[in-house]
Amino acid sequence: MRMMIAVAVLLALLPLGLPPYAMTLLTEALIMGLFAMSLDLMVGYARLISFGHAAAYGLGAYTCGNILLHTDIPLPFAVLLAGAFSGLVAVGVAWVCTQATGVSFSMLTLAFAQLLYAVAFKWTSVTGASDGLAGIPRRPGPFGTTYFATKTGFYYLTMACLFGAFVFARAVVRSPFGAVLRGIRENEAKTLSLGYNTRLYKIAVVALSYMLGGVAGALYAPFAGFANTELLFWLLSGQVLIMVIVGGTGTLVGPILGAAFFLLVQQQLSTYTDSWALFFGVIFILFVLFAPEGILGIARRRSARAG
Amino acid sequence: MALLELNGLSKRYGGIVAVDQVTMAVELGEVRAIIGPNGAGKTSLFHLITGVVKPTEGEVVFDGHRITAMPAHSRCQLGMSRTFQITALFPEMSARDNTRLAAQARDKQRWRPLGGAAVFAEASRRGDAALERLGLTHVADRPAGLLSHGDQRLLEVAMALAQQPRLLLMDEPTQGLSVEETAQAVEVLAGLFRDGGLTVLLVEHDMEVVFRLAEKITVLHRGAVIADGDPETVKADPAVQSAYLGGYT
Repeated sequence: MRMMIAVAVLLALLPLGLPPYAMTLLTEALIMGLFAMSLDLMVGYARLISFGHAAAYGLGAYTCGNILLHTDIPLPFAVLLAGAFSGLVAVGVAWVCTQATGVSFSMLTLAFAQLLYAVAFKWTSVTGASDGLAGIPRRPGPFGTTYFATKTGFYYLTMACLFGAFVFARAVVRSPFGAVLRGIRENEAKTLSLGYNTRLYKIAVVALSYMLGGVAGALYAPFAGFANTELLFWLLSGQVLIMVIVGGTGTLVGPILGAAFFLLVQQQLSTYTDSWALFFGVIFILFVLFAPEGILGIARRRSARAG
Repeated sequence: MALLELNGLSKRYGGIVAVDQVTMAVELGEVRAIIGPNGAGKTSLFHLITGVVKPTEGEVVFDGHRITAMPAHSRCQLGMSRTFQITALFPEMSARDNTRLAAQARDKQRWRPLGGAAVFAEASRRGDAALERLGLTHVADRPAGLLSHGDQRLLEVAMALAQQPRLLLMDEPTQGLSVEETAQAVEVLAGLFRDGGLTVLLVEHDMEVVFRLAEKITVLHRGAVIADGDPETVKADPAVQSAYLGGYT
């Protein structure tokens, strides 16, 4: 708890000293952190490996983009609405995907994300097809404030979303519901035989995960000012899964660090080479081989040794 | 009064008859064992009772309700708790968390996604009580996967007990245990059953275990019931002797 407040204060003070370019990068890191954390709910707590989490991101981004382009709804509300919509769609997705388990489940999530990707290319009136949605504004409000449209204001909005989502997700994993998720992770057949309708729990956690992932995507649309089909592409699904694993599954905090680490490495390496992903692949393999508990696991091991 | 009734229950896989017209009952408060040689259909019958498999014909009646088509997890909610032939636990959770999760399944607010301190408190209370009844309090904080095999079997029973079941179903409770471990487990279970209040149906092929624990025995052979009664009657039954005991006495 004390740690969380310290981090919050630090993040809140950063805009005072950072140049605009670094602010942009940091905002993107927070958005990606929220996205990775949302996936951790599924992967880390219920062992539901999604290969199509970009679906949540893209749904949030396109929904928020359309709300901001076509209505006067203030930016923060548009973000929340888009998240809610993504979660709602997820109920249907999960209802289908949870018919299967294991790798089949993963492939179904991928199939669904690719389906949305294909739809986004065809449904020009809503998605702008291959051009995407451009010029997504940051609508003023609530109460007519234009603060969230500024660079610093948008940063604080993103930070608030990340912290709100984190506090919410942490409460969920510590609740009775969260205990059942861990049961599913360790032994689903046993959880079922104890009298839990495990499929409903799985559908619920996918919906929550998509909802938070949708909020992340919804923040990205007004952050970048555009939304395109790349936000639904499997490449992003793979990247966010890597962020979760590198950061440390089942920790919520780890994936946020994993996302920041990923963006940092990408940003540094891409100034030297176009094949930065190749090098990140090596880093990923090293993590899987030597530190499967991720960045957070390494940090915890170190602090345990030190103290 | 019969808590569980099976009426003409059959299960066929193609031409193979796994369970053949089984009619039997488990009275409230009794400890009954289903025995039979390998391949007699014990496990198949158990699956039909717990709802893992649906019967080809016949019906399962629990406490006056026909539950033949009810899914397994709903049967648990009616008060049927089971243990598995191959130990099924949550290996990375502590023994205490295992029983807590089991007890939580009986709470109306077991699904609560926020808060839930009261749910946990009540479930912990029941879970800890179950651990104590099976003499596992001293290992309560150890991860279940690190317990001895005997303790793991007992932990599974504790999980079932934590649910305060109306019918406790046990699939070979001493399966895979050494001779000493079996003796210890039987001692604990016998004490548990002696205290009363439980209705138990167990499947077991170790005859010593059965005669030590069960008050009533149903004998299966080739999927059909060939004898039913108290241990002495069953032991003396010539059909049972030829089918199964084969020189045991």
